[in-house]
Amino acid sequence: MELSDLQASPGEWLGGTGPEADIVISSRIRLARNLAGYPFFSTADEQQLGELERMVRERLLNTCVSEGMGYFSMQTMPMLDRQFLVERHLISREHAFGKGARGVGLALDETVSIMVNEEDHLRIQGLCSGLQLREAWERVDAEDTRLESCLEFAFSAQFGYLTVCPTNAGTGLRASVMLHLPALVMTRQIDKVFQAVSKIGLIVRGLYGEGTQASGDFYQISNQSTLGKSETDIIETIEKVIPKIIEYEKTVRNNLMQQKHEVLEDKVWRAYGQLKHARMIASEETMEYLSSVRMGVSLGIIQEVKMDVINELFLFTQPAHLQKQNEIQLDETERDVVRASYIRKRLQGSD
Amino acid sequence: MNCESCKEKDAVVHLVDVSNNSKAELHLCKDCAESQGATIKSHMQKSNSPKVATDELPAIFQNLPGVSAASETETCGQCGTTYRQFRSSGKFGCPECYASFNVKVSDLLEKIHGRCEHRGKVPSNASEQVNQQKELQALYAELDSAVSGEDYERAAELRDEIQRHQEGSPGL
Ligand SMILES: [Zn+2]
Ligand SMILES: [Zn+2]
Repeated sequence: MELSDLQASPGEWLGGTGPEADIVISSRIRLARNLAGYPFFSTADEQQLGELERMVRERLLNTCVSEGMGYFSMQTMPMLDRQFLVERHLISREHAFGKGARGVGLALDETVSIMVNEEDHLRIQGLCSGLQLREAWERVDAEDTRLESCLEFAFSAQFGYLTVCPTNAGTGLRASVMLHLPALVMTRQIDKVFQAVSKIGLIVRGLYGEGTQASGDFYQISNQSTLGKSETDIIETIEKVIPKIIEYEKTVRNNLMQQKHEVLEDKVWRAYGQLKHARMIASEETMEYLSSVRMGVSLGIIQEVKMDVINELFLFTQPAHLQKQNEIQLDETERDVVRASYIRKRLQGSD
Repeated sequence: MNCESCKEKDAVVHLVDVSNNSKAELHLCKDCAESQGATIKSHMQKSNSPKVATDELPAIFQNLPGVSAASETETCGQCGTTYRQFRSSGKFGCPECYASFNVKVSDLLEKIHGRCEHRGKVPSNASEQVNQQKELQALYAELDSAVSGEDYERAAELRDEIQRHQEGSPGL
């Protein structure tokens, strides 16, 4: 498998096909695992990390992962490709640009990725579109079981899977659901979600856009505690709260449609106008307008564009994706021009 | 990722400001985060929407119950990490650290997770000892609930079973 195989399609998780896809973008499960008998990433020297990466790579490729999985070493990967994988949510930013011997195993359909020498020796991630935490867990659980047949994980009966950071110990499981909540943000009711969710021990964080800014309308909800509950109990806690948030967002959208129709339509159409006509557009701006248009499409205000086009634009307008499509390095200003022209092309003919 | 303030050390504190019109994120090393504590705080108070510290560990460590100076120098025999080092980085050095600092780790885990006993997946190749200990724990848990449910008959049965388990595995 080559990285270029991933380039053409947006990946299963952004397909917009999963349950509740108008509001739930994706569901993710991540497991942290370390190998018994090795120092953690935090204290291992360069040589030990190199040996560990080689050993894991060998086993991944030869025996213990599902068919069709490719493996890539970070050190030999061009910077642009690393950024590309970050934009795909297949590896973390730290993993892409951190020091030491690192690698990633990837399933072609992008539903599973295995980071080697991230903060923990292994980070196994499952990513599905829409609200499908169970499915993501099943993928990851199966991959983990395959891995344990050829690797011995650091485990204690008392503390469970032993992780570098005690906040991940036990199950090593972080479950997250990414939500698009523009109406709650617009009406400043998002704070209520924050409060309600933190009361039941969950964390909310903003989604990272390009660079260091969190972009407004996307929020990720995940579990804080990883120890003392079973994997399925952790998942259930999140699964129970998400439908309530979806309901809340939908109610607020409907209220806006009834009571502030003009304000809502104006916001949506202006955003659409900017995207259709801009000659230069930055990544942050793009996210903001796409978010409004996405809500407009979901409410039927805009009918000439399909949701999957909007979903793809979120991904394909990011810097590494733009540069890989054009097969050239672009500076920031050039990117803004190319981005605007790409968006115009994708939205063309829909007038 | 490097600290945005000193540009040298690894950033371990990630602050995300998710208020409506101003969006900002700050990545700092522990030292800079501490020395800039006041700045961060005042920055956060400017807006009234909630801020999410994406890594709240350092705060947890500062609030740890009094640890004596002597125990601060306790060292993991396997990797040489001291408890003091762990406290300042929030990171263990090797799997053995959990056993080396066992009592303090239990307290810490309880503080972070609200519990300190694993209840999830067990690797299929976990040693026989781990599996037995796991079974024993399940029995103890059942015993707890039998006692609190005042089901003394079941509790007595469980006590016998626990005893049989313990006799069967003198290694524990
Ligand atoms: Zn610093
Ligand atoms: Zn150690």
